[in-house]
Amino acid sequence: MDLFIQILVNGALLGGLYAVMALGLALVWGVLNIVNLAHGAFIMLGAYSSWYLYSYLHIDPFIGLPITAVIMFVVGYVLQRGLLNLVIRAPMFNTLLITFGLEVVLTYLAQIMFSADFRTINPEYAGNNLQFGHIVVPIVPLAAFGAAIVLTIGMWLFLLHTRLGMAIRATAQNLLAARLYGVEPRHLYATTFGLGLALAGAAGGLYGTVSQINPYIGATLTAKSFAIAIIGGLDNPLGVLVGGLFLGIVESLTALYIGPTYSDVASFGILVLVLILRPSGLLGKTA
Amino acid sequence: MSRTPFRLFSPLLLSLLCATPLAALAKDVLLGASVQLTGPVANTGRYYRDAYQIAIDKINAAGGVKIGGEAHQLALKLYDNQSDVNLSVRQYTQLISQDKVNLLLGPFASNFALADSAVSEKYKVPMVQGGGASDQIFSRQFKYIFGTLAPASNYFGSTINMLKELKPAPKTVALLYADDAFDVSVAEGTRPKLKAAGFNVVMDERYSTNATDFNSLLSQIKSKKADAVLVAGHETEILNFVRQAKSLSVAPKMYSFTVGVPSEDFRKALGPDAEYAFGMTAWLPLASQKDRWFGDAAQFAKEYKAKYGYDPDYHAASGAADVEALVQAMEDANSLDPQKVRDALAKVKFDSLYGPIAFSQSGQIDLPQVVIQVQDNKVAEIYNAKGFATKPKYPMPAWSTR
Repeated sequence: MDLFIQILVNGALLGGLYAVMALGLALVWGVLNIVNLAHGAFIMLGAYSSWYLYSYLHIDPFIGLPITAVIMFVVGYVLQRGLLNLVIRAPMFNTLLITFGLEVVLTYLAQIMFSADFRTINPEYAGNNLQFGHIVVPIVPLAAFGAAIVLTIGMWLFLLHTRLGMAIRATAQNLLAARLYGVEPRHLYATTFGLGLALAGAAGGLYGTVSQINPYIGATLTAKSFAIAIIGGLDNPLGVLVGGLFLGIVESLTALYIGPTYSDVASFGILVLVLILRPSGLLGKTA
Repeated sequence: MSRTPFRLFSPLLLSLLCATPLAALAKDVLLGASVQLTGPVANTGRYYRDAYQIAIDKINAAGGVKIGGEAHQLALKLYDNQSDVNLSVRQYTQLISQDKVNLLLGPFASNFALADSAVSEKYKVPMVQGGGASDQIFSRQFKYIFGTLAPASNYFGSTINMLKELKPAPKTVALLYADDAFDVSVAEGTRPKLKAAGFNVVMDERYSTNATDFNSLLSQIKSKKADAVLVAGHETEILNFVRQAKSLSVAPKMYSFTVGVPSEDFRKALGPDAEYAFGMTAWLPLASQKDRWFGDAAQFAKEYKAKYGYDPDYHAASGAADVEALVQAMEDANSLDPQKVRDALAKVKFDSLYGPIAFSQSGQIDLPQVVIQVQDNKVAEIYNAKGFATKPKYPMPAWSTR
């Protein structure tokens, strides 16, 4: 029984991290209709940014998170205005190609700049944990889990209740009407993409604190974020959180009862099932 | 970061290096290889590029290869396979059919060697490779593939011998392995050895290559009370495994890993958390291992570090030995003919910085694995064929008391 509870805890904590990784992807996809295949590469860059801040400037990774987020926001804003905006009206295939190209370029730039060596963000407390009887709760994943909840609810409140958030939703729903009401779409798109990258950057910082960083982690993270966004649905950040938790717990239980080689089979199997049964996500509005 | 400009221009330099001697000296012996310089395994792939180059430079400086009383210089034609097996197969085909290389050096990793050795077999050009240890590579009765890594099936052999002598004796063992050619061979070789030694194997689990989450496996190790944990995997996975073991307070009496422990990179990434990790290596930079070109293994390690700025591990030594084996075989055969060199390789026998080089009927070397452990941020030789060399730090204390 202890083992079962421990695995549930592990899965939920893993799921929290998954949710942060997928939030940015879901936001950009939902509002700009861009499936950002470079999302994982941006998580990787965020991880390196946190690693630099920690290793060279001795800034604690959790204090470094907002700094990384701001850097990534600027990168995202500029990239959207300067590059992606050129193809925003083009068929989806073009945006897929351009973000795929970005992924390749960023990965190889990262190898040139940071080398293929493995890095970890490893502060003193990184391996600490809390113990409740036989159940162990590692603190960094717990903090990442907390960050996931804060960011998700923050995103949700932001989209529902702030002027900018409402403008973002309005643009996603009806561009023409939004323009008539004075929304400047170019600025808004760039802001949204910047926000997506800021979230990716924060996810990268958290990822580097629990895992290892190298230039090639991006592709897997994109795939995982993609699955979570589909499972959770794109309308609502809360859906992403639910999707992340669900996937984390299913993967952990699969590893325990069926075998660790089947974790990916389980997660992508669920992706297929969701697409068949609830195409707009677990919490999405039914069509 | 000081090497960045060099890295930027290295493809350019590389092509210049390869092109000039070719045009100038028609009598060069051209060795061809395809290695992972970019992509997920670039971290280990670079050992082979660097090892091949340093060995070739050293041999050239000493006069090159003497065939028929005439000295030939060695040249290297190297491609980056971007960690893509299919690309590496095409590049080996190109090396033979278009670049007309005389002989082949290998790629890194068993799955690459497994695929690429089909090319050397087809064109009947011998390949000496120091990057693939899986027994599968040598079980197909291929005649043109020779390997200088000790057999995967025996990676944990010396570790299991050591386990029997440790006090307090471990009783339960967990065996975890990734689902690729090398690690599956390791597991298949380790399983019967554990059984013969009388250990109770409480876990025998295969996981996906590139897995990042080991929390489920670690929780099971804890609940099944495994005393010794043997993991066959890749360095990225081992790093996550150790970090997650710490965060879940999972401390078996000992754990041992097939990769990572001998390399400097592993100790840098984990810092003090790397302590107590056991591993194995078929090579240590000992002055007692004499070499015709480098003097001895310690000298090789020194020159290597001076040239590339990082310590060589057994991959690098194995790569350098591959070049030496080809040179030795060319001189023994007194010919450049691939068939004659192949026959000479089958009979080759010499001492090198990597140890005594000789190939079995199937083409693989047989070297004993020395058990090593990270102690005080250095690799300590713990257990070899003669027994304990250094006192192991055993059992591993709880994480909270480290």
